[in-house]
Amino acid sequence: MSSSIEQRQTILTRTVLIGMSIVFVTPLIVAFLTSFKSPAEITRVMTLPTQIYWENYAIAFGRAGRTFLNSLLITAPAVVLSLLIGAVAGYPLAYMRGTGGKLVYFILLTGMLVPFQIVQIPLFFLVQRLGLYDTIPGMWLVHTAYAVPFCTFFMRNFFASVPRSMYEAALIDGCGPATYFWKLLLPASGSGLAALAIIQSRAIWNDLLFAITLTTSDNARPATVAIAGFASSLQVEYGPLMASTIVSVLPVMAAYLLFQKSFVRGLLGGAGK
Amino acid sequence: MNLSPHRLSRTDWTHIAFLALPTLLFVTFYVYPVISSIHLSLHDWNGFAPKMRFVGLQNYQVLIGQPRFLHAALNNIIWVAFMLIVPTGLGLLLAAILDRGIRGEQVFRIIFFLPFTIPAVAVGAIWRWMYEPDNGLITTVLKLLGLGSFAQNWLGDPNVVNLSLMGSVAWWTTGFAFLVFFAGLRNIPTECIEAARIEGATPWQVFWKVSFPLLWPSTIIVLGMSAIDAMRLFDVVWAMTKGGPAYSSEVLAVQMYDLAFGRFDMGRAAAVAVYLFIIAGVIIMPYIIYMSRRVQDSEAD
Repeated sequence: MSSSIEQRQTILTRTVLIGMSIVFVTPLIVAFLTSFKSPAEITRVMTLPTQIYWENYAIAFGRAGRTFLNSLLITAPAVVLSLLIGAVAGYPLAYMRGTGGKLVYFILLTGMLVPFQIVQIPLFFLVQRLGLYDTIPGMWLVHTAYAVPFCTFFMRNFFASVPRSMYEAALIDGCGPATYFWKLLLPASGSGLAALAIIQSRAIWNDLLFAITLTTSDNARPATVAIAGFASSLQVEYGPLMASTIVSVLPVMAAYLLFQKSFVRGLLGGAGK
Repeated sequence: MNLSPHRLSRTDWTHIAFLALPTLLFVTFYVYPVISSIHLSLHDWNGFAPKMRFVGLQNYQVLIGQPRFLHAALNNIIWVAFMLIVPTGLGLLLAAILDRGIRGEQVFRIIFFLPFTIPAVAVGAIWRWMYEPDNGLITTVLKLLGLGSFAQNWLGDPNVVNLSLMGSVAWWTTGFAFLVFFAGLRNIPTECIEAARIEGATPWQVFWKVSFPLLWPSTIIVLGMSAIDAMRLFDVVWAMTKGGPAYSSEVLAVQMYDLAFGRFDMGRAAAVAVYLFIIAGVIIMPYIIYMSRRVQDSEAD
């Protein structure tokens, strides 16, 4: 192949990459800049703010401050609980021989295809009957329960990639299967748990459907519900809306940037290098 | 298996004990509500009345004759097709380009992946602003380029709204496809690529004849997740249009929410959910079967 064609290809791929990067990053930059603009400047979308207008953030926290705290109080424990339930279910399914285990695994997997709409109405009444409607522990329970299929799938595949010889050696040494799980397997599964923690943080922090169905007041309402309310109202105030959006975006974005590597590795089920 | 159920070992009992709580949660939060929804869909109920009125299959019959329902169901199918093609294709393209060893790879990787990390409602909020008909960025840029006549009422015009929503969703989800494909490409042994190159294959041939077939595990993950997300689609539509204008952007999940919690027509809403469940089952079941098979195959190695 002649070098001029190669050069032209390099220019082409560069152009595509840079063009796409601009498309990907512009909405985020526009949102960020808008969150610092005063109402007078907000319609000039292509300019930088002449001065930093913190008022948007003050309004956002005034209206939705409690919901950001709720998001945090819901997400952190629910992530821990969902990892635990996924690990507890994934462990026997990774080691059981025979049809029983496979059947249970298959049934749990079918949960991944269930559109949440079909559980939504009965769930609304179930959570009310349990006395957990509009409470943060109610959200923990629901997020943990609906994490069962995916977290089980993920942890089962992760455990299956751990050499079985480790398990057999431990059993020969007189270690019970439960002790093996808590004392050896779980502590050695940091990378898988970290990757799953990031996926779950995103899923739970970003959830709107369960939150909108099962919360109604600042008692338990997370930020996503508040923002959806602002965004779909008829008269949108874009300054405060963008400020609350930026705040809602930061935690998960930061987590992904920090733990990018372990996320990619975990996604490949430990098959990667 | 020659283990009789009466002679379970200590290990078996431990396994059963471990599975007890997850199974209980699954039964309580999946099995029971699904059955309960199916039961509810055969009744007329406003959510408050002490008694539900049995109406048989009437809810299903009424829905299937309603343009509003058929339109939302069609929208869901279009969304599935869109999600399987556009974010997947774009993600593959970006991954393939970036895999060729380009300077600044790390930066591009972060940029392409960033939108995927943000909540759907944030996508909705940001893109409502981008699509703002008078001062939004898209209209402003078109005007600057002298293409002002192409500007639309992006979210207010029934003929345009679905395309606008799809644009914002492509922006949001391409990063996931990109990252999975990129990781998949990095996992392909370099010897395979080198061998093909030495044989005199062009980069184009190398990609389609060598890399792409080896990417099958990544492709399966991306396609499966895209189809599931497209069936469940709710948040973005809810945050940007609530299904409007005039139900034009409505998908089944949004319609079901409106019927249940806006109009308290629980039976009808449950019937919408059951239809959605059936459509999702038909589309996604082969995927689930394939996934559980694949795991068994890898065990046999």
